[in-house]
Amino acid sequence: MSLLKAFSRLTLQSSKYLAQPSAWLHTSPVLCAEPLKKKKKLDPQIIKQREDRRKKKLEKQIRRLEKNARQLKPIEELEVPLTLIDEQKQRTRTLPPLSEAEVERRIQLNKQWSRYKHEQKMQEYQIMDRLMQSQRKALEELRLESEELYQEAIQPDMSLLPVKIKGPVATPPIPNYVSPDGEYILESKKWDI
Amino acid sequence: MLRKASFILGNQVRLNAVSLCRPFASAPGAAGKQEKWDLYAGVLVERLPIVSKELNALEKDFQEYLWRVEFEKSLKSDSEIQHERDLKQAELLKKGQIDLDEAASKQTAQDLKDAYTEELNKFEKAPRTTADDKTNNVLSTNRCLDDKLYLLVEQAVGSKKHFLLPQGPRLEGETMRQAAERIVREKCGEQLDLLFYGNAPCGFYKYKYPAAVRDQSVGAKVFFFRASLKNGNVDKNISKNFAWMQKDALGSKLSNERYVESVQKFLV
Repeated sequence: MSLLKAFSRLTLQSSKYLAQPSAWLHTSPVLCAEPLKKKKKLDPQIIKQREDRRKKKLEKQIRRLEKNARQLKPIEELEVPLTLIDEQKQRTRTLPPLSEAEVERRIQLNKQWSRYKHEQKMQEYQIMDRLMQSQRKALEELRLESEELYQEAIQPDMSLLPVKIKGPVATPPIPNYVSPDGEYILESKKWDI
Repeated sequence: MLRKASFILGNQVRLNAVSLCRPFASAPGAAGKQEKWDLYAGVLVERLPIVSKELNALEKDFQEYLWRVEFEKSLKSDSEIQHERDLKQAELLKKGQIDLDEAASKQTAQDLKDAYTEELNKFEKAPRTTADDKTNNVLSTNRCLDDKLYLLVEQAVGSKKHFLLPQGPRLEGETMRQAAERIVREKCGEQLDLLFYGNAPCGFYKYKYPAAVRDQSVGAKVFFFRASLKNGNVDKNISKNFAWMQKDALGSKLSNERYVESVQKFLV
């Protein structure tokens, strides 16, 4: 305040405002932030252009994905080698036409076969039926004895899978057989999906 | 929907089972519903076939036919083409139109074929019948390779010994499956490596104890579990008398006809 008074003495115009210093000095609270910048206004046409570009880009991506989805893994074994197509004429067999008796024999054989297979299938169904009946009976009997044991018995057995069973072969494996050609290693190309 | 249907079916079977049991329950001396049964677990151990079955006449015919059709539809292979070319060359050679040295040095398709056939003939396949087949050694799993074999073990039932599927009583606190696994270990040793097919029993058999020993429980209910042999055989120090039998031959070892009938129900 004394400073102000000293100044006021120096000035030619003795102002009454300066004489009342408390009205002139204001303090504001400390600001911990920058005042907001004024937003730049963009041309609406440019905005539209940008959006369009983004849309197109997405559409392109989608299209590319769809195209790839339709592309299936090629099965090389099923592709006919070009040499076979070129030399088809040379390679076709010229066989004498089948005799009527042979055609008839083949038809009969086909019929016999389907009958045979049908019977076999029916027998299999009967066996399955019998096995299921047997299991049902066993489970029911178990339930009569104890509900808890029954509940334990109908739980799925998770340790069973994955199961590996080798099917019957034409001749039994030779014990301690060493393959003269070495081991077979699968070399086919791996396809990532 | 499906679950409901099977539930109803199950109930019917259960009713049937109850009505079947009734004649036993009303036998003199039995205390109706209160009668106590011992629970036994049994194990059907099967050795799956190792080689395929011999084809019958029709199957052989049909296979020949399929092979023939495949041949007719096929195109000539490289070696057949080569063979034809060789024949043509031989003819030209006879006529003296080409140089002898050039033609003779080449290996013909027929030569190759002969070499391959010879190599194949040299290869010795393992026989489909084994030494144990000839001696009819029922202790071995290496016989009747094209058929299933089932394990029977001689066990004491009461005072007598019988050939049966391995079986034994359930202990307190065990599930039936655990009991079955334990019993197989006890009766056949640790070397028998088995694959059990699930937790549910596949078959059932019950028998009554003779009246003299029927003090606490009336009889035993045996619940059979199916398992297939992965490896190993029965330990001879634990069970001396056991047998791996085919389905048709089971009857000759099992003494009780009713038992055979129950077991046959869940054999494939």
